[in-house]
Amino acid sequence: MPPAPGNTASQAITAESLTKKFGRREVLHGVSFGIEKGSVFGVIGPNGAGKTTVMRCLLDIIRPTSGASTVLGENPRTAGPALRRRVGYLPGELFLEGRITGRRLLSHYADISGPVRPGRVDALAERLGLDLDRHTRKLSKGNKQKLGLVQAFMHDPELLVLDEPTSGLDPLVQQEFLAMVREAQANGQTVFLSSHMLSEVQQAADTVAILRDGRIITVATVDSLREGAVRHVRLTAAGISASDAGALLAGVPGIGHLEVLPAGDGVELSATLGGAIQPLLRVLATLQLTDLVLQEPDLEESVLELYGTIRGNGGNGNGGTNGAGRRRRRGHGA
Amino acid sequence: MSKPLPLFTRAFVDSWRATLGWAAGLAAAIFIYLPLYPSIGASPEMQGLMDSFPPEMIKALNYDQITSGPGYTQATMFGLIGFLLMTIASVAWGAAAVGGDEESGQLELTLAHGVTRTQVVLERALAILARVLLLVALVFVLIRLLTDSAQLNIRPENLFGASVLFAGLAMLSGSTALFAGAVTGRKTYGLAAGAGVGVLGYVFNAVGRQSTDVDWLLNLSPYSWAYGNNPVANGADWAAAGWLWGISAVLVALSAVALSRRDVGT
Repeated sequence: MPPAPGNTASQAITAESLTKKFGRREVLHGVSFGIEKGSVFGVIGPNGAGKTTVMRCLLDIIRPTSGASTVLGENPRTAGPALRRRVGYLPGELFLEGRITGRRLLSHYADISGPVRPGRVDALAERLGLDLDRHTRKLSKGNKQKLGLVQAFMHDPELLVLDEPTSGLDPLVQQEFLAMVREAQANGQTVFLSSHMLSEVQQAADTVAILRDGRIITVATVDSLREGAVRHVRLTAAGISASDAGALLAGVPGIGHLEVLPAGDGVELSATLGGAIQPLLRVLATLQLTDLVLQEPDLEESVLELYGTIRGNGGNGNGGTNGAGRRRRRGHGA
Repeated sequence: MSKPLPLFTRAFVDSWRATLGWAAGLAAAIFIYLPLYPSIGASPEMQGLMDSFPPEMIKALNYDQITSGPGYTQATMFGLIGFLLMTIASVAWGAAAVGGDEESGQLELTLAHGVTRTQVVLERALAILARVLLLVALVFVLIRLLTDSAQLNIRPENLFGASVLFAGLAMLSGSTALFAGAVTGRKTYGLAAGAGVGVLGYVFNAVGRQSTDVDWLLNLSPYSWAYGNNPVANGADWAAAGWLWGISAVLVALSAVALSRRDVGT
């Protein structure tokens, strides 16, 4: 069952059972989610998962085959230009051609969007390190992307819809972009962004939806993803046999990929931990540790594992992703 | 706050280089062809040369009245080189307005802003109209200026009527290109459809004039509606002008409907 879109008044975006067919090919199979006003919501998924299609439906660039959505409380299909003035949009593939300077192009987009505060464009361009007086067609991919970001942010819209916003940006500019997103959120603006990399989304977003093959696999907070994420454990211990150490660790909930090698009079051991840390620590306290590494959780890996699970056994498997407390899982068996 | 007609302004102003180029081309054609009339069209040798050509060819090229000033201007400027240049310009603008913009990926971003699709089509059609009128006004003024020195003997009201038909003919091809682009989202289809109207109109006219057996082709030729009675010499057929402009307006309206009803950028 799709998660209930919830109370529309508190939600910047709701989507209910959105489907989209291009000819006979269905690319969205009933996508439902809600985005709280003032939150940063990320959608991740591999290329072709349907992220761009969802965003285009919300902007009324394409029309869903069935299902309903609201944007800032209105139906994007009928709300018209007044609604889109309240939204800032960055398309996934940004094409800016023509013999026109960035400044003139932005002034054109300002004419057809919400009012832009004086000095706002220059301030944004300076933050991102963008030269507004160059012709757009001579800009590099990264600089075009910056122009697209300025265009989306400049009228301080209530809602930002950003398709792969960090694509083509160097790491320093990515950090600046993240700061812009945090400021927008502090300002009460809502941000809906997409990426095929979790690492890009996790720093910015409160909540993440994972989309694959036109279906939402899970919606989770970044915190709960982190809880459910897999940590790597490596240790060496003295005075214990490999089989004893193995048996001891195997009893800890959430331990996987356990490998134990004898080393001197003790063992070298590596494993993954997909659950709480406390039970592991209790076991470790009984060992004579000579070295211990407990890595930060790798969300990327846990998400990839999630993709793998869904892909591997057709949908309902729960293995490898223990302990996802608040995760809503929607099974879609073939 | 926002300026009036932002999409029109962008389409019209930002293409000023191209507009200037077309204006230079038309002006060059006028200054090359028309001053030659006293030494070519009006000369007895020309009449002799015309008599030696096959009559079918004379008719196909609309050269039957080339020995009079208005006939010469009609055949060379409005009927041939001017027609060619204006059709190409108008078709290029029409195909680019929606189909080309969508194909290049830029229409998506425009539509994500505070505009309606109808507004996009209408303002861009208006920008095509403004550029066509600008170029035709230039043609009108330049021919007026040369009328005396080149001994063309064209009555101003006939020149005006021919200019209205000339502009209407260009708009018909341009709005066809706009419509095909708005339906398909592809520039190439717009170019093909717009050029098709121009070329077929010309060919149907050339063939239809050959004999009464095929003169029904003239009814299918916008070129023949406009120029069938030699408007520079005899004055405009205002009903034909009404058809050219009316069909163009309908095509623009249909373009707005077509774009509003479909997905963009897919």
